[in-house]
Amino acid sequence: MHPAVDASDGELARAVAGRAPGASDAAESELYRRFAPRVRLYGLRHLRDEESARDLVQQVMLLTIEKLRRGDVRDPDQIASFVLGTSRTMAIAARRTDARRERLREAFLAPDAFAAPDVGATLDLDRLEHCLAQLADRERSVVSLTFYAESSAAAVGADLGVSEGNVRVIRHRALAKLRACVLAERQAS
Amino acid sequence: MTAPCASPVADEVLVDYWTGDLPAADGPALEEHLFSCADCSARLEGVASIAGGVAALARQGRITGIISRALLNRLQRDGVRVRQYTLDPGETVPCAAFPGDDVVVTALNANLAGVRAVSLRVTGPNDAVMGELNDIPVAASPAAVMWVTPAALIRSLPTQRVRLTLRSADDARLIAEYALDHTHAG
Repeated sequence: MHPAVDASDGELARAVAGRAPGASDAAESELYRRFAPRVRLYGLRHLRDEESARDLVQQVMLLTIEKLRRGDVRDPDQIASFVLGTSRTMAIAARRTDARRERLREAFLAPDAFAAPDVGATLDLDRLEHCLAQLADRERSVVSLTFYAESSAAAVGADLGVSEGNVRVIRHRALAKLRACVLAERQAS
Repeated sequence: MTAPCASPVADEVLVDYWTGDLPAADGPALEEHLFSCADCSARLEGVASIAGGVAALARQGRITGIISRALLNRLQRDGVRVRQYTLDPGETVPCAAFPGDDVVVTALNANLAGVRAVSLRVTGPNDAVMGELNDIPVAASPAAVMWVTPAALIRSLPTQRVRLTLRSADDARLIAEYALDHTHAG
């Protein structure tokens, strides 16, 4: 057996499969390290909320490890598909819960009663703000409408009076500039 | 082994996926790939991180430039405290940003029919240029241009008159001029 960090996903899953808790801690940790960020991204993409995405990670990874230990994952070599399938199922359930929570929130609480996700923990917001200021006005508008207002390319195009295809081009170019700027400032500091 | 990706997903596809612009039929196959590929999921993480950062800055009122009505509505829905001034062509309006304001939105009414894009020049005393925004696309409903500035920035300005000049981006034709009599609110 390779050290866990060098093992394939399937090798890690097989190392956990049918084993008692504690018998394959290194493989379980490595599986978590690899898949938790992917489940979080899936959660963010489909649930659009950091807290819900974190909950999804805990639920999916716990269930995955449990099922592996019990030998309930039919093909450990396809562990990525298993984790994705579990994420899909649990995200659907979470969406229903979130919709209920949102209705309650709108009925009983002020709009700022829930704290915004702590994005600053992973990204220097001052740096990003500086990089956003370097963008052309049109690029900044597209970026804000896309990533803050969560508008589709078609909606952004209708809003700004440009074509959907043009929005995609502007968005792609702006994002590349932002990435390069954030990276350059990170390296400089 | 976490080998390098043999078939990397194009950046545009990752962005389309994140923004919901990817055709629904392409989603499942892409997600299968993302769950089994460390490289591509790390690149998607980069997109998600910037997207989250842009949203976080906006929610904090750290947003500047031209905004659409949709963006203004979103800011207000999220509890960002907006102070808004609306100006007709040729009008001078007294203004200030007060403690507690997050952003100041200046809505410049104008007849923008037939105009593709505009430029906005902001000048202070002695025509000193304070800002210039170029090639601003005109929205589908051409009635006004809305300019957002963090209130903290406005609060830091001294008492002064600020002139705003709107021109067509294509031929520099003057569309309208406006003025804000800004009072430093401390």
